[in-house]
Amino acid sequence: MATAISLRAGKVPATRQVATAATVESRAVRWILIGITVFFLALFICLPLAIVFSQAFEKGLGAYWASLRQPDALAAIRLTLLAAGIAVPLNLVFGVAAAWALGKFEFVGKSLLITLIDLPFSVSPVVSGLIYVLLFGLQGLFGPWLARHDLQIIFAVPGIVLATIFVTFPFVARELIPLFEAQGQEEEEAALALGASGWQTFFRVSLPNIKWGLLYGVILCNARAMGEFGAVSVVSGHIRGRTNTMPLHIEILYNEYQFAAAFAVASLLALLALATLVVKTVIEWRARPQFAESAEGEGEEQIA
Amino acid sequence: MSIEAQNITKKFGQFTALDQVNLGIPSGELVALLGPSGSGKTTLLRIIAGLEFADSGTVLFDGADTTHQTARDRRVGFVFQHYALFRHMTVFENIAFGLRVRPRRVRPSKEQIRAKVHELLQLIQLKNLSSRYPSQLSGGQRQRVALARALAVEPSVLLLDEPFGSLDAKVRLELRRWLRQLHDEVHITSVFVTHDQDEALEVSDRVAVMNEGRIEQVGSPDEVYHYPVTPFVYNFLGNVNLFHGRIGDENTPIQDTATGELVYVRPHLLEIHRQPNGGSNFRATIKHINSAGPLVKIEALTEWGAPVHVEISQEKFRDLRLKKNEAVFLVPKETKVFHKKVI
Repeated sequence: MATAISLRAGKVPATRQVATAATVESRAVRWILIGITVFFLALFICLPLAIVFSQAFEKGLGAYWASLRQPDALAAIRLTLLAAGIAVPLNLVFGVAAAWALGKFEFVGKSLLITLIDLPFSVSPVVSGLIYVLLFGLQGLFGPWLARHDLQIIFAVPGIVLATIFVTFPFVARELIPLFEAQGQEEEEAALALGASGWQTFFRVSLPNIKWGLLYGVILCNARAMGEFGAVSVVSGHIRGRTNTMPLHIEILYNEYQFAAAFAVASLLALLALATLVVKTVIEWRARPQFAESAEGEGEEQIA
Repeated sequence: MSIEAQNITKKFGQFTALDQVNLGIPSGELVALLGPSGSGKTTLLRIIAGLEFADSGTVLFDGADTTHQTARDRRVGFVFQHYALFRHMTVFENIAFGLRVRPRRVRPSKEQIRAKVHELLQLIQLKNLSSRYPSQLSGGQRQRVALARALAVEPSVLLLDEPFGSLDAKVRLELRRWLRQLHDEVHITSVFVTHDQDEALEVSDRVAVMNEGRIEQVGSPDEVYHYPVTPFVYNFLGNVNLFHGRIGDENTPIQDTATGELVYVRPHLLEIHRQPNGGSNFRATIKHINSAGPLVKIEALTEWGAPVHVEISQEKFRDLRLKKNEAVFLVPKETKVFHKKVI
């Protein structure tokens, strides 16, 4: 005798709520809402993006390539990749560690720590840059000591990397804290009780559970690391071919009326943003089945 | 493997979860920790498992002190209330996990692991679902996978935290019978936590009734049900009517006089009569009748104004033709008296 009961116990509630008949707006209201949204998207997002690319190719494909292959442009691209290449892995490790501590444990000062992690979001990037100038600049706190040992941080690559790390460090942690909080510790406890070591538990249970969130945090972190202007601008010193990142290089070109070249480099950053969005969409699409699949129509078969 | 918990005390801040608890579990027994929420039963189970550590007291496995060993070293199988299945792994991978994480020199070969997992899948009757993810399973199926995963490492002790707590009534009944059968086959020392007295009485060899961080009574289901040693146990193991009073003379056996005695009568041990039968009885007025179910449940008001619950058979109910607001005589067939000093 098979009892056909559909069990919903323990099912992860679907995050998407469909409007019921009672909450559906009238046709006119819906069209107005959609219209406003599309209008603003077109005006503030799509139009500028189109202009970036049309300006970039204004003088033809040859000029576009030439402005990208210019030594200063190449140096800027290299420096941007370097800064992001250092900042993102460091923030990945920091973000996972911080989120683990904040999401899984209760301790005094926890909310203060979360607030501190958010600091780079709430502080103006210019201030973030100035902090490093005040710390490591010639007149700064550690300036004399650094000068004596012939170390340069401000107006050099280390300063740019530091500023980039500072402005991007909330991304990964912010993404993971709610995930860790929601998951609790039961799966880890189960793994430990089954004989797994701490590292085995982390790599086989905790990490796979957060991988999509982690990846999402990393791409946001990366996008910001490559696109950061304010903080980097303060510490960079704008030395062409040496301390200019892509955003700074774009500014210089623009100020020198080399519009086509400026937009050519800008188009690279815009492409990065578009690629980020595509990756993000793919991740969200891939991550959904893991959490939303239900035991739809699953009969509980009779147990002997 | 036998388990011995001695003088276990555990506090969470100001709250005393366990207070000097002693519990011995002989090898091969299936023991239920029964109590209301907050009675400390889950904490005791987690301390036995090594997922939580007692403030004081010792835990012995087969006489050996394991107090300071972690869950990893104790070789316990633990089944969590909400299953805690690894959501990114298939059923097969979930069950194989405990074998795969073993150090290389004691790790079974791939073939051995596969054989073991299939054997367990057979046992839980989910062979055709081995490549499903937990989110694609029903609650009962998840529960069985969690059990198979715990059994895969061949634990010396099986510990289950509210194993059927989040299942609906019908599946619960099936699963608890299945667990009983499984225990009869595998014969592994098992402890399970429950707040459901029916579950505890039906499944276990012995029941430890817990209340406010203490064990009130340990005994076979028969013992704790028929010979409760405290009012709490009597109260928790079934519905009761409580009368503050004393056993009086023939005509009025239960009076509402504060003489320091507590008189308990289970609803099905009260008889309803139209006429006084000469023995002990008291008057009551019927206030509510619920005849849906195997027994007819009647709520009445005693002559001194206390509510009383009575359960009679459908047959008897038909014979008496009881109606609402009717005055009747209630005759206790069996009472349980506790003196106040017991509490």
